[in-house]
Amino acid sequence: MSSKGRRAVIVGVATSDYPKLPEMSEHAVHGQAADRALADAGLTMADVDGFASTGFFPMYATGVAEYLGLHPTYYDETNAGGASFEVLAEHAAYAIESGAAEVVLITYGSIQLSQMGRRLGTGGGGGAGFAPGPAIYDALWGNTLVGSYALAARRHMHQFGTTLEQLASVAVTMREHAASNPQAQEREPITVEDVVSSRLVADPLHKLDCCVISDGGGACVMTTAERAADLGVTPIYILGAAHATTHHMNISSMPDLTVTPAAQCGPLAFARAGIGPAEVDVAQLYDSFTITVVLTIEDLGFCAKGEGGAFVENGGLGLGGRLPTNTDGGGLSACHPGMRGMFLIVEAVRQLRGQGGVTQVPDARIAVAHGTGGMLSTGATLILGKEAP
Amino acid sequence: MSERWFPDEMPVPAVNAETNGWWEAAAHHRLVVQRCTDCGTTRHPPGPVCPRCRSTTSEWSELPGTGSVFTFTVVRQAFIPSLADRIPYVVIAVELDGGGGARMVSNLIEIDPADVAIDMRVGVVWEDMGPALAVPRFRPAAEGTPT
Repeated sequence: MSSKGRRAVIVGVATSDYPKLPEMSEHAVHGQAADRALADAGLTMADVDGFASTGFFPMYATGVAEYLGLHPTYYDETNAGGASFEVLAEHAAYAIESGAAEVVLITYGSIQLSQMGRRLGTGGGGGAGFAPGPAIYDALWGNTLVGSYALAARRHMHQFGTTLEQLASVAVTMREHAASNPQAQEREPITVEDVVSSRLVADPLHKLDCCVISDGGGACVMTTAERAADLGVTPIYILGAAHATTHHMNISSMPDLTVTPAAQCGPLAFARAGIGPAEVDVAQLYDSFTITVVLTIEDLGFCAKGEGGAFVENGGLGLGGRLPTNTDGGGLSACHPGMRGMFLIVEAVRQLRGQGGVTQVPDARIAVAHGTGGMLSTGATLILGKEAP
Repeated sequence: MSERWFPDEMPVPAVNAETNGWWEAAAHHRLVVQRCTDCGTTRHPPGPVCPRCRSTTSEWSELPGTGSVFTFTVVRQAFIPSLADRIPYVVIAVELDGGGGARMVSNLIEIDPADVAIDMRVGVVWEDMGPALAVPRFRPAAEGTPT
């Protein structure tokens, strides 16, 4: 991002095995992804002086670093829920460009699917027992995580005329992409009719409007452009990045249930990159629910507020559509282990390298990865490019 | 309602210095909102500082107990085990009359979920959980309730 001197780039990415890992521990998922990402970069654990990760308890990154045998002199475990890994990558870029770190490894690992039954999964959160502090003011009445997104979806439908079929088309397109991803959790083609006739979880969101619940993880390795040249790998540049938050866990505290923090951090990230949404070739957008994608494309400026429904229908997010999105099948179909922001970075980098396989967007030069966390509470945007700015 | 909707095993809301006044008023079936005594801005859930002017002084402003449905959902999957036999139930974000824009999450009861609509007028109904705890819920307002 810096205009002079050290420039942060991504040199290695990997996903772990997914979507079902009953034989693996959470740390083992981190380790598998880390080893693959380092190999992808042509680096080893001995080259790593910075480490970032996050999970659901304090000093999480410290624990993973110990498991990986790292003694990092830069570490970060900022938790912004689903937006965490975009924030961690932005922080790592600052650290690298300031000289505070040389090689930063960022890892994610989760076995929430295999742990279900032993503890409540992210996809089914909520309930007074899990509502410390002010969160009780939403949870006491039986609101759920899906319920919070449903409240936003219903408001969007009321205010802008967004239809169930338009929301459903997001899920249909993600499934089309997942069909080309052999690892994807759900690959059977679905139709708009399948989505709107699937079981209602929390009106207006049906089962197929909701992400899958998976095990899995990923990792990325960042360093300087200079080091990348020495390694002989193709660097992916961080052209711009920003993050924002508007509220914590109470959807009733969201300033306007149709406007997410992406409306703040999206324009900031584009301004920092010096480009506009029209220049983006491929997008990796957090898709915890179909409504999440509709709100995000509006707030990032791919269309006007309220026009997201029309944007996504008829394959607007498909290959050859207005904005090819979630080319791996996304959280709606491929894999969603709880905080899938790392998957967005990995797939964005693969697209820019031309490693997208069947769902490769031809000549993709600029990609956006945007994570969303909490109850539409946090947003973080990364704008990535295959050429130096 | 003869039987309580909220299950016995539902944890009692943690009451602290910030929320005590709200739950105390609720126990007396008074719906209140926290109002900054310096700039008049309302906030919900209750908190220690006015997000607009940073004042730490506030009062509990009593509301008429009516409002409009800002948005709603019908919860149909029982993620919360103790509410499993209550589904489907309606969760609303209600914009409170006199609340200065404050919204609260609650339930809408005594209505077929298929008939719930945004902007519907609603009025508070209290469920007593014990001598010191009552929880506000809402039901459709009678015809002619002033808006």
